[in-house]
Amino acid sequence: MNHHYFFPPASAYALNRCLFRLKSDAAFRARYLADPDAAMDELGLDADGRAALRDRARDRLVALGAHPYLVFMAELRIGMERSSAAFEHF
Amino acid sequence: MPLVAAVACPHTPQLLVRPETEDRALVLRVHAAYARVKRLLTEARADAICVIGGDHIEGFFLDAVPAFAVCVGASVSGEFGRYAYTFPVHEPLARAIVEEGIEREFDLTYSQDIRLDYAFYLPLHFTMPEPPVPIVPLYVNVYLPPQPTPRRCYAWGRTLRAILDARPERVALMASGGMSHYPGTDRYASPDYEWDRQLLATLADGRGAETARLTGDELDKAGNVELRTWITLLGAVGDARADVVCYEPSWHHGNAVVVWPIPGRAPGTDPLPGSGR
Repeated sequence: MNHHYFFPPASAYALNRCLFRLKSDAAFRARYLADPDAAMDELGLDADGRAALRDRARDRLVALGAHPYLVFMAELRIGMERSSAAFEHF
Repeated sequence: MPLVAAVACPHTPQLLVRPETEDRALVLRVHAAYARVKRLLTEARADAICVIGGDHIEGFFLDAVPAFAVCVGASVSGEFGRYAYTFPVHEPLARAIVEEGIEREFDLTYSQDIRLDYAFYLPLHFTMPEPPVPIVPLYVNVYLPPQPTPRRCYAWGRTLRAILDARPERVALMASGGMSHYPGTDRYASPDYEWDRQLLATLADGRGAETARLTGDELDKAGNVELRTWITLLGAVGDARADVVCYEPSWHHGNAVVVWPIPGRAPGTDPLPGSGR
């Protein structure tokens, strides 16, 4: 049994795919930042997933079956996009 | 050829792209530890670095989740913000690992086209020897349950060692990951530093084989799912006593750099370059 990282339910596949693309696909991330609804349409998110993602509500996303790591890194990559000046690059 | 180096490194992204919330002095201390690894790898004159890493759902998404995989491309690339990396893959060695691994009943997945995860390129950003050498990315599933058991990781490491020993190349092994951290969970700000320190003491004492008896449940509870990469390496280095180059606990992450003396040489007679010991 795992306490923090659990088996991702198939019902959350579209949501996890959206978070994965936000994390790893710069072109999709740019489309999402420009028009979140259109980007979520592309991936067929359901109403609960869309609302939780729009609200950036981690606990709700995880309750829907989103992988916590994907939630974390999608948020971080969006943050890097929005305010790159706040980071020191080595 | 026997192994020519065995090391474990963290890959915390904040070590490469530092936000204001990350202690700069701590980051620089980990960089200094990376620099020692870089000298070690340079002096080892490795022909290739086999990096045992846990994919952060970057190369493998839910469309296919292998327990153990090997990248057997001509080269492999990844990107993180303004950073972009391409490394040549040591193809003969990578192919031999897959072929021999399967022959020895480890049913490995291989890929000739995979996007490289930061678990691989982040430590190499700081430690790639000069001149640079090709790599072989070796994947262990750490984030998508059910993950392989520590016992299986250790067994794979032992078999990997047997495969490498029969090869002509001088190979350095690097485990990437750890230590305690809980990204995306309520425990993000409270890693289990005590668990980390106890484990490092066990490794320094030459009792690395004990990690094969850990359970997946214990690793998950301790924020150490990524330690499967270390356990795989431990299967390859056996009971060599670890030299803990640094343990730097940040507010969210136990950053450890560890090196193992190469089996076949007496521990303590081959100090790390620059260690002053």
